Amino acid sequence: MKKKAKALVVRTAGINCDIETKLALEKAGAVAELIHTNEITSGKTKILNYDILIFPGGFSYGDDIAGGKIWSVHIDKVYADVKKFIDSGRPVMGICNGFQVLTKLGFLPESKDKKQTASLTFNDSGVFIDKWVELKVNKNSPCIFTKNLNDIIELPIAHGEGKIVIDDKTVLEELKKNNYIPLTYVDNPNGSVLDIAGVCNKRGNCFGLMPHPERYASPLHHPSWTRPQMQKVKAAGLEFFKNAVEYLKD
Amino acid sequence: MERKLKDFTSLSASALCALQGNCGWSLCEAEMLAAQKYFKTIGRAPTQAEMETVAQTWSEHCKHKTFNDPISFQNGNKKELIKEGLFKSTVYKATKKLNKKWCLSVFKDNAGVIEFGKDKKWALAFKAETHNHPCAVEPYGGAETGVGGVVRDILGVGLGAKPVVNTDIFCFAPPNYSKKLPPAALHPKRIINGVIDGVRDYGNRLGIPTAAGAVWYDDDFALNPLVFVGTIGIMPTWAVHKKVYPGDLVVAIGGRTGRDGLHGATFSSAVIEDASEVSAVQIGHAINEKKVLDAMMKLQAKKLYRAVTDCGAGGFSSAIGELGSECGVNIDLKKAILKESKIQPWEIWVSESQERMILCVPPKNLKAVEKILKAEDCEYAVLGKFTKTNKLEVYFGKDKIVDLDNYFLHGGVPKIVRRAIWQTPKLKASKLNLPAKKYGELLQKCLANLNACSREAIIRQYDHEVQGGTVVKPLQGIKHDGPGDASVIWPVSATGNQKDFNGFAVSHGINPEIGKSDPYQMALNCCDEAVRNLLCVGADINKTAFLDNFCWGSPENPKLMGALVLTAKGCYDGALAYGAPFISGKDSFYNQSKDAAGKDLPVPSTILISATAPVYDVRRAITMDLKEAGNDLYIVGLTKDELGRSTAAQILGIKDTFVPVVDAKSALAAYKKIYGAMQKGLIKTAHDLSQGGLAGALAEMAFSGGLGAEINLNALPCKGKLSDGQKLFSESASRIILEASPKDAAAISKALKGSVFVKIGKVSEGKKLVVKYGKKEIIAQDINKLKKSWQSTAVM
Repeated sequence: MKKKAKALVVRTAGINCDIETKLALEKAGAVAELIHTNEITSGKTKILNYDILIFPGGFSYGDDIAGGKIWSVHIDKVYADVKKFIDSGRPVMGICNGFQVLTKLGFLPESKDKKQTASLTFNDSGVFIDKWVELKVNKNSPCIFTKNLNDIIELPIAHGEGKIVIDDKTVLEELKKNNYIPLTYVDNPNGSVLDIAGVCNKRGNCFGLMPHPERYASPLHHPSWTRPQMQKVKAAGLEFFKNAVEYLKD
Repeated sequence: MERKLKDFTSLSASALCALQGNCGWSLCEAEMLAAQKYFKTIGRAPTQAEMETVAQTWSEHCKHKTFNDPISFQNGNKKELIKEGLFKSTVYKATKKLNKKWCLSVFKDNAGVIEFGKDKKWALAFKAETHNHPCAVEPYGGAETGVGGVVRDILGVGLGAKPVVNTDIFCFAPPNYSKKLPPAALHPKRIINGVIDGVRDYGNRLGIPTAAGAVWYDDDFALNPLVFVGTIGIMPTWAVHKKVYPGDLVVAIGGRTGRDGLHGATFSSAVIEDASEVSAVQIGHAINEKKVLDAMMKLQAKKLYRAVTDCGAGGFSSAIGELGSECGVNIDLKKAILKESKIQPWEIWVSESQERMILCVPPKNLKAVEKILKAEDCEYAVLGKFTKTNKLEVYFGKDKIVDLDNYFLHGGVPKIVRRAIWQTPKLKASKLNLPAKKYGELLQKCLANLNACSREAIIRQYDHEVQGGTVVKPLQGIKHDGPGDASVIWPVSATGNQKDFNGFAVSHGINPEIGKSDPYQMALNCCDEAVRNLLCVGADINKTAFLDNFCWGSPENPKLMGALVLTAKGCYDGALAYGAPFISGKDSFYNQSKDAAGKDLPVPSTILISATAPVYDVRRAITMDLKEAGNDLYIVGLTKDELGRSTAAQILGIKDTFVPVVDAKSALAAYKKIYGAMQKGLIKTAHDLSQGGLAGALAEMAFSGGLGAEINLNALPCKGKLSDGQKLFSESASRIILEASPKDAAAISKALKGSVFVKIGKVSEGKKLVVKYGKKEIIAQDINKLKKSWQSTAVM
């Protein structure tokens, strides 16, 4: 029997979605380890020894300065390893705070020379919001995490700084043209440009999103699961993690 | 360097009182004299640090004197002496009498601990705190540190539990409050927004879902809001008890110590005045607390310490003093990590700087502890060690600043007989007869009432789903916006076992309005509502555990004390009647200030009952939204002429009429039958009747499910002859509406046999709520319009 995929869930002070992310990975058939950023930057843990890399959600370092800013400065110390990991085609996902980090380091949208082309800033409403939203899945996207999902899925969002802004029109055009926007909001909750909820790279193995797939790893997570119509609905969030595990098998 | 209070032992009683006033100690004359006597006996004057230690240890906040002192109670013409005090004769007595085997640690640690799940592997710890005084003067900071404090209580119970849910219950004046305020008071709107923001920013950053709560509005909370914050944690059973061993090291971890939060304990034990010390409010930093939480969970799993407690009110003085109260402890404050260099040694000792915990670490484990703390970026300092001297000894370098005997510090506070009086107000029957068309309008108004309307604007700001365990959410139904009765938590983030479906429900009962007419019934109604809410989500109410939080004005006011005695008696009777022990509790006094006219304005006397009960299989939990057209609707429980203090009564200006009187015995019998029916899978939906009575509850169920309902009042079980209005809007206790499939009608009748219940109608396809009496139509309202009314009121 083939060995189980080994996932690294990076944590640090203020990260708070690490445990449920680990549980979702385990349910999807991977083994997962929670490792503190200090262990990675000190060289004690090598990112490249893993098969899947996840930057989970939370308020790293309190989101002081800006969401994910300080965490990205720490991760920048092992930038080369992250880059190698992505270039090797292994799955990388940044969720919420993790997406903010991938954006700050220029991994998403994918850019040359670490250039940051997008920013995740305060919601138009000005306040933190926790609610379930409908998301449209782009079937033509190369994203490996969103394969074989229904056209419309539901996931919860829980963020104060989830509005994606992209200044450079050509960057926006490229994202659109090449289907690097695997997920868009049906009813935009934060003011994101083009209703963008998630962005991937060209190869589709590096993906960042504001909604929380790990919070829909069980049908019980859905706010309406007690209703008769919901009895046969699959937990859409779990599929993201299953897709990553499946992809590694091929 | 320590200022000696040179003449302390020779001061007159009045000079002692003047001294304590200048120093902000909140001690009374008898207490100052007791302290003077001790120092006379040991033949020296106290240091300032010693008197600060005494003031903090003996404060109302830390010692709960009002609940422990004897009370002379005059109820109408009846006189009673409550010799052993309220705590021992009510809440604690009930718990002792009930003697539940599943109570693992009650009323002796930072939280109450009960069994959780199968195989006795896990335990559940629950604590609810108040942070009223700080929130009155600095709402944002006060609320933040309130959350931080109660979370640390859970980290500091036994050997520490993992927090899996936070609760928040607020009592505010309405946001559009327009009466004149005294110059220094903050407007209620500012308090509301500050408190909500504080709970949000701190709770969300800690990664603990804020998933259950309530908000109550009343003008008389204008000067003194009530902010209750609770936390439930899960811990392995082996971690339930702690023990301090002489020789173990005193290790302070987490935040640094500064001059913030000086005199917090004594500040909370007095009336807020203009000149109240704003430095008494601490400054919170959520990420420091998250570091402490993460580090503690790692240290706990490796069993590296043998006792722990949090630094709350009174800071090091309280935390270290308590841990060392049974053996002795020796501390050097020079080793503490500080925020600033100019701080005085006594200030280090009583500072309430946040995010600090004290661990008792065997010396051989110190290296391993240090390694984990460093890996988690968590600062720490070894302050000293536990001894066998039965003394509290505190040094600053070579200077000894505290040298007190434990017997005096922890047993020396004098008892005072308190006076309580109560005169029962006369209540009468109500009248409510409106033209049929007007009832729909009244229902709209009830739904829009501040104490009944949607709390979505607040709930959405809280991350109520982090940790992936909130399986019955505070907002329910087809559009995820209906008002749930209770939340159900599936604590997989603590157990790590996704195949174990054990969970628990958490709910509340609060109604200070009833207390204005009848404090005893307020307590019983709150107990009943908390239990009923648990039942409505499918929890096993045979294993309910209660928490009490009393918030009162000054205990020097005999009338307020009278209400307190009756409320405590209600708690006692409620606990016994529902078989639900109190496992933890807290009281907060002096919630009063002078209003703009210079008159004392105490808060409405308020009891909050928090409750939890197990849900053995969270996949069978139940919500309150109507599920399917064609299903039958049942009502369980008796409707009586009890409009007193109801939502409708307030809208219509009906005064001094009968308030709900709880018949707990028949209520519990019915609840047990409903639970039995739920276990058989017969119940699709359950919702309790509270604000707005029968009409309000039905409306909520209908618009949350996006379905209509049609009921007929002619079959409604009532006591005596009631008008349509009384039937629809009375807020009689212990009533529940159930939805079940028509094919289960016989099974339902069998399951509920012996209790008061009747089929009152059906769920319908159309989007209309229709209420009839015989053939007469009393209400016919579009559910979307009702929902709109319910959602239209601004709660902040």
